[in-house]
This record gives sequence, C-alpha cells and structure tokens, in this order.
Amino acid sequence: MDRKIAPALQSIDAIDFINPKIYDINQNVKLFFMSEVPNETSRVDLYFDAGTIKGEKGTSSFVNGLLLSGNESISSTEISHQMDLLGGFFESGITTEGAVISIYALRENMPALLELVKKSMSEMTCTEKEVQELVQDRKQKFQVNLQKTRFLAQRAFQHNLFYSHQDYAKVVEEDYYENVKSSDLRQFFSNNYLNGLTKIAVVGNFSQDYIDEIIDLFGEWVKEGKCEYAKDFKNRVGLHAVKKEDAMQSAIRVGKILFNKTHPDYNDFLILNTIIGDYFGSRLMANIREDKGFTYGIGSMVAEFNNFGYFMIATEVGKEFKEETIKEIKFELNKLQTELVPKEELDLIKNYLLGQLLKSADGPYSMMDLYLSAEIHGLGLDFYNESIKSIQEITPERIQELAVKYLSWEDMTIVTAG
Amino acid sequence: MIDYERFTLENGLRVIFHQDVTTPMAVVNTLYDVGARDEAESKTGFAHLFEHLMFGGSINIPDFDAPLQNAGGESNAFTSNDLTNYYNILPKENIETALWLESDRMLSLAFTPKSLEVQRNVVIEEFKQRYLNQPYGDVWLELRPLAYEKHPYKWATIGKNIQHIEEAVMDDVREFFSKHYHPANAILCIAGNFGLAEVKALVEKYYGDIPSKDKQVRILEKEPEQKIFKEKTIYRNVPADAFYFAFKMPERKNPEYYIVDALSDALGREKSSRLFIELKKEKKLCSEIQAYITGNIDEGLLVISGKLNQGVNFDEFEKALWDCIRDFSNFVMSEEEMTKLVNKIRTSKEFQEQGLLNRAMNLCFFELLGDANGINEELEIYQKITVHHIQETAKSILIPSNCSLLRVIAEKNEKNG
Repeated sequence: MDRKIAPALQSIDAIDFINPKIYDINQNVKLFFMSEVPNETSRVDLYFDAGTIKGEKGTSSFVNGLLLSGNESISSTEISHQMDLLGGFFESGITTEGAVISIYALRENMPALLELVKKSMSEMTCTEKEVQELVQDRKQKFQVNLQKTRFLAQRAFQHNLFYSHQDYAKVVEEDYYENVKSSDLRQFFSNNYLNGLTKIAVVGNFSQDYIDEIIDLFGEWVKEGKCEYAKDFKNRVGLHAVKKEDAMQSAIRVGKILFNKTHPDYNDFLILNTIIGDYFGSRLMANIREDKGFTYGIGSMVAEFNNFGYFMIATEVGKEFKEETIKEIKFELNKLQTELVPKEELDLIKNYLLGQLLKSADGPYSMMDLYLSAEIHGLGLDFYNESIKSIQEITPERIQELAVKYLSWEDMTIVTAG
Repeated sequence: MIDYERFTLENGLRVIFHQDVTTPMAVVNTLYDVGARDEAESKTGFAHLFEHLMFGGSINIPDFDAPLQNAGGESNAFTSNDLTNYYNILPKENIETALWLESDRMLSLAFTPKSLEVQRNVVIEEFKQRYLNQPYGDVWLELRPLAYEKHPYKWATIGKNIQHIEEAVMDDVREFFSKHYHPANAILCIAGNFGLAEVKALVEKYYGDIPSKDKQVRILEKEPEQKIFKEKTIYRNVPADAFYFAFKMPERKNPEYYIVDALSDALGREKSSRLFIELKKEKKLCSEIQAYITGNIDEGLLVISGKLNQGVNFDEFEKALWDCIRDFSNFVMSEEEMTKLVNKIRTSKEFQEQGLLNRAMNLCFFELLGDANGINEELEIYQKITVHHIQETAKSILIPSNCSLLRVIAEKNEKNG
C-alpha cells in the first residue's frame, strides 16, 4: 500500500429525508410526529408565540424562567421533585421571535410528565417569592455576562443589526431588573403561553392514540389567528466599539441583514458561507487561526428569522490582533469578490456539505429538527433536495456573483468589544 | 445493551467494532492512553498542545482535515487529565479515508516548525479565551494546586501557565510522540453499518504494518492522604462572591466511585436536590449551587460550587453548608429519593447512548478502564446502590479534613461594602 495515495471516494447523490406525520390542531397550529425511534428515548417540544419582541423590559424572558414555578399551594421544588422522580428533563428557551419548552424522558414516563407540565403551567401564578428570586438570580447572571467581551459584542451587534426595528434592537439593560411587576408577568403568561401555543413536535415510539391524547391535553392552549413578524430590516453600518479596560481578548462581530430559506439565493449563499467560515478549513480559519494564530476560533453563520435572516462572522482574538484581524476579514471578503474560488476548494466543500447534510438527516431527532427548520418557512423536505442540487451544480462564477452582491464591506455592521 | 466485537492486532492495537445498521454514517474513534497527568511538572499543557499538532500533517499526508472534509466528514479531539481522544464522523462509504488519515498520524507526524509555532499561539489564545478572559475563568488553575499536593491533577489540562506553552520546542514534540503515540498505547473503535470481517480486513490493511512499541508503565506520584482542611481566598474583579468546596473521592475503578457520583446528584444536581432546596430556596444564601464529580481515573474530586447572594457573608454560608452536610450524613435518605437519583441517571444514559459517536467514545473509555463491557454494566451498579451505601460514603468523604475550599471574593463588593 502506498500511503501517499488517498483511498477512492464515493459521492452522495441522494439522501432519504423522512417526513413526520402531521396532525392539524386548528387552522394554523399543527403537531408533528416522528415515531421511528430505535430506543426508549422520547422528546416533546411545545412552541409558543412568546419571544423577546413581545412584552416590555425582559417580561418574556422572566416568564420563560417561571413556567414551572408553581403557586401558593404547590412549590417549584415540589414540581421539580415530581419531574425528577419520573426521570424527566425539562428545558425552556427563548429567542427573539418565539419560545420553546422541551421535555426529555423515557417513553414510559412521558405521559405522566406531560400531565405534570400541563397541570403545573395551568396553575402557575407568578408568586412574589419566585419572581423576586428569579429577578435577583438573573441580575447576578447579567452582571457576570457584562464581564465577558463575547456578551458585550453580541449585544451591541444585535442592537446595530436590528436598528431599523426597535422591538428587535432592544438589548437587556440593568433597569430590566428593577420594578418587575408580577401582574405584568401573569398577563404575559396568559396571553402568550396559555393562549399562545403555535406548534408541537413529538419524537418517540408512541401509539397513534397517544398522539391524540397529547392534542387533547394541550389543545386548549393553541393560539387563535396568525403570528405577525416584522420585515424590511436594515442594519446600521460601520464600526461600533465597546470599551472594556481589563480585557485580554477582543470579541469581534461583522455582519449584515440577509434572507432566509425562502429566498432564491439562500442555498447558494450557504455554500459561500461555508467557504468563508463555516468549517474547519474555511478561509477565515485558514488565515486567522491556522496561519497567524491570532485566535482559538473564528466562524461565520447565517441566522434565520420568520421574514428575514442575517449573516455574521464572530471571533475572539488577542487584543493586540484586533485591527489586523478586521483587516484580514475585509481582505478575505474582498478576495471572494475579485477572485474565483479554485475548483479544488469548491469540490471539497461540495463533498463536505453533502456529508454534513447526510448527517443532519441521520436519526429521528436530527430529522425532526431538519424538517422543522424548513417547515417554519412553509417549505417541505423538497427544499433539501433543492439544496443537494444547488451543491452539485454551483460554479466558481456563481460564488463570485453572490460575493459581489452580498458581501460589500460598506454594508457591514462591525462591532468590537474589549 | 450495546453490542461490540473486540480484537487485537499483532502490534498491540486494541480494536472495538460496534455495529449499527440504522445509520448512514461511520465513526472512527481513537483513544490514546496519555493525558495531562503524564506530563513533567516543568512542561505542563503539553498533552493538549500535542493534540493540536496532530492536525498539522503526518508523515505521508500534508494535511489532516482537507482529505476528511473531501470525504464528507469532520473531525475533532479533546484532551483531559487522563486521556486524549480523536474522532472522525463521515459517510460510511468513505470510512477508508478516516482509517488512512488516522493510521498515518499514528505511524508518524510531519513535525513541521510552522505547525508548532502557530499551534503554540492558538493554544495561548485558547488559554486566554477559556481561563483568563472570563469571570471566574481561572478558578480551576487555583483549585487544583490547593486540592492536590503531589499528584499531577494539580495542574489543568491547558497547563499551569502560558510560559510552559511558549517554551515548547520540537524536541519535546518528537519525544512525546515517540513515547505515547503507538499502537499498544491506543484503543480504536469503529462504529457503523459494517460486518466484522470487513472491519478486520480494513484495520489490518491500514494499521497492521505500524511498528509496535512497548507500552510505558505509568508511575505517578501518589497523592498523600489529606488530613487537614485546606482553604484559600482569592480576590477578583467579579460581580459576586463564589465558593468551591472540593472533597477527595476514590479512583474510577473503586466500587465507591459510583456511590459518590450518586451522592453528588443527591446534593446538587437538580432543583429538587438537598443543597439547592436548603441553601438557595429556603435560606436564600446563594443564587446558584451545584454538586458534581470531576470523573477522573485516579483519585478525583467531588465539588460543591456556586455563588453567594448579595449581602451574604462566607461565615454564614459555610456554617449553613456544613449543617446541611451533617444532616445528610446523619439521617439516612428515603427510598424515594434514591429512586429519583437512579431514574435520572437512567434517562441520561439512554439519551447519551442515542448518538453513534458517544457509543464509540464510551466503548473506548471503558476498554481503557479494563473492559469495554463496563458500558453495559454501569446502570446495574447504580441500581444496586442503597441508601445505606450513600450514608456511609457521605460520612467518610464529606468531612472538613477531606476538603479544600477556594473562595473568590468580588473586589468591587469589598470596596463598596
């Protein structure tokens, strides 16, 4: 065997994407069910119209932290105790445009756990004791976060990126933690959770009958009417520097408002994004980490919202390398606009992306997540067949065309912290 | 139940094959029996720096990542105090690419000066990002040497300080490779939709001709038994006071290891745990508190850590914590509490083993401990723990003379207060 010669490769031509079963709860709200699970694990996700754009001064986030906080007769501790006795895990999370709770459990325990979640949330009253404790905890966490350059940069980036829409651009301030009113939280909870369910996703080896029971159980929480989201965003361009005196590293963010899966350039842009910074061998990693050693890591991403998306480059570098790193980022974006990507590099990325897509469709949990990330934009799994086609057919010329169209330095919001 | 087959090559390479017919992906996982505990005290951080260099090209292949990405795959690695683990995930049709790359870097590295120079800088930035440029980031750099006097667990995987990394030279790299990177010091796991005969032939093809070396006998300084309570207070520019109580616990192979693990869950894993209820919910002394074990192969630590609420002082908190621990040791817990711990462990384990990569990594880890089948025996061990085991172990471990306490005092509070 000659060790200098690489083994022959097989390319991926097609991937089996598996649709979940779909149940209509009302006109807008659906349940998605993936039943082929080769073990005893299961997960139920409940989605709510309760993102940070709803409500004032952190209300949405506080409520998200209080969902299992109980009431005067059943304490949060008692609820946690029952949850743990059933071996269940509960997570709640919030984004700009929505909130989600996830329950992880062995299949046999899921029915009792869902009953517990339903009952606890239905009876939750935002008691003064729990609200005060949460607000104090969150305030301390916020103060810790203010010491992190990464947090400061992300916060300032979000503010400038969404500048045209103040409900998206608002960032957490110290005054969020003063004068929180339980009555406001209760009102928000009632409007956006008890009448705000927008989607259910179930993964687990359950019977059809049990799915009907889940619908019966949570059906009364569904939101009536459609959710409305903002569009036509414009980021505030140019450099915004946040000072932090004692920092050893500077956090850097560079990006702009872009589109989501519904845009005809999305699939192709995702390939360009990979070249820039979305895999270990990317242009930015090769230059700023592997050639210059300025950073432990640098990456780029495309984030999606209901009506738009954004592109972002993120890194933390030694503070003495801040200016040079920004210069190099600019250089790399410019190079993609002026020079064609070598065929060898593009071929590698094609193979890499097909392998990653295969992995994203591997197993019921990944498959559900992949499905939902298209479904949110009204697209089906055929979107991913389009992705495969886009990967197979893309040319260096098309990459350059997209770089010219979308990566002008003048359009970028640039943030540094540290 | 995780099924597997095991075989050993003539050069000493131990191989585990785990079949999964449901996935289109394959995993090639390689565990090397070397970690930060094998470093010299004057050259710490080296096992981890070396892990970075393993991606800088091998004797016959100039670049590790590009051929793997070209095969649709990706790769990463991690280093702990005990071991170094490298993994590749790729479409199963292209598994040979991963074997070709992994076997070549087991054969020999390229040892290019540029790679060493750059990775030294990358690791220094990693040091800053994780340990220095974060509030509370340096506590483990302080806690380890407080808890350990002799054993190499007294330094962190990243190294004692940045100077050690700056001073690394090519001769160190060559020596480290020659000592630790060879078939007899590695465990390979291949997972995916393959047959045993096919896997045997592939492994023989790529690894069979790598020269064998003798596995080094590990002789580490033994940590003397701790006899007195140790404490240290540091002052930092952070928003809240923080505490880290570190109790010595038995090594991984000791049957008591699992009892301490369950015990730490009882104290502070969830919101229904002892410390959380008593010190946070009822007495309102701290904003967060958790208990966990470091999971080391040699004598590890059970750690209770968290942050104080504004206006609470350490004396008050420490008294309440020791009271709570005393109650825990003096009164046997209910059967219900025990059931709760085991149910939680069972769910975690099922979810962990859901992923192909986790299964492959765990099989290698248990084989390192002595028997890959340990992965299938673990749950039963937890299920056999009784409330009396927990109590006895709590009595012997959760005592001041077995404890090292690190306090972090928020400098700003001092000045204001």
